Amino acid sequence: MNGHADGPELSAYLDGALAPEPRARVELHMSSCGDCRAELDSLRHLKLALSAAPRKAMPADLAYALERRFVHADAPAPWYAILTRPAVWAPAGALALATLTVSLWLRSAATLEEIPLEPLLAAHARYSAEALVPEDNLVASNYSDQVSDLPDAPESDLQ
Amino acid sequence: MDRMEPQAFADLLRQAGDKAFNFAYRLAGNEQDARDLVQEAFARALEHAGSYDPSRAFDSWLLRILHNIFLDGTRRLATRKTVSLDAPAPVEDSSWEDILPAKEMSAADELIRRESIDMVQLALEKLPAHYKAAVILCDVEGMSYDDIARIMDVPVGTIRSRIHQGRVLARKAYEELERKGERRQ
Repeated sequence: MNGHADGPELSAYLDGALAPEPRARVELHMSSCGDCRAELDSLRHLKLALSAAPRKAMPADLAYALERRFVHADAPAPWYAILTRPAVWAPAGALALATLTVSLWLRSAATLEEIPLEPLLAAHARYSAEALVPEDNLVASNYSDQVSDLPDAPESDLQ
Repeated sequence: MDRMEPQAFADLLRQAGDKAFNFAYRLAGNEQDARDLVQEAFARALEHAGSYDPSRAFDSWLLRILHNIFLDGTRRLATRKTVSLDAPAPVEDSSWEDILPAKEMSAADELIRRESIDMVQLALEKLPAHYKAAVILCDVEGMSYDDIARIMDVPVGTIRSRIHQGRVLARKAYEELERKGERRQ
């Protein structure tokens, strides 16, 4: 063998794909050629690196989809497949929305009932007191003093 | 197309499913295209089941169909690559020795090795389709030259040449990626 080993032959040697005669020839050449040994080493490392990459197994959902497509196309769908039909999820969604709306309305109504009564009564008393102040004296500067001088509102107004 | 018996199809899936998906993933470089390739390959295989020679391995026949579909759609697939070319730089100066698993590896060593394996995969994706398929079938799938020649429908001598040229190109692409500091995100 003159020069260096043929590249494809070197790869075939690496892959164990050479017939005995060319294999012996390549081995004889490499025994005296450092460049070809280095090249073979480099190719071997690449081959090992490629084979070391993790294998990608077929995803389970793809296998299931293939089986559904090519085997069970006429078979009844699983029970949970019904949930994907608009005829089911549309009314169910509307019902859920209505339930949510009613719940929010009831919650807001309950909130109104929870407003403390005492501040309301105090405000009512204040308005009653204001009603007793003569209109001519409803001036911002002396309004508070006049209100404080008034007698308490009658009990009947607080009911 | 006639429906298959469940058990017969389950056998085919078990026999060839993982190999077909791994081949498709390495060819396409992303899962979605691999899924499409595998689905289409099974569809065509079952559609043309009459032309299948039972004396041959089913998985080789399926891979041949898949490879043809890939070649047909190479241009379409090329527009949907998921490789990011502006990712952060990987560890510099990693050699082929870094890629090979050592007996005792630290977590950092393992990380470097995984990044290097990713870069090998990335380098593989940069090969022209014919070289890529030959290298994947030989080095990833571990198939013989004769089987690869049947799958790719070319003479064994052509396969030998493609495998070697593919390796040389992959090595060059890897070194280029390493120099630029690219890696898969």
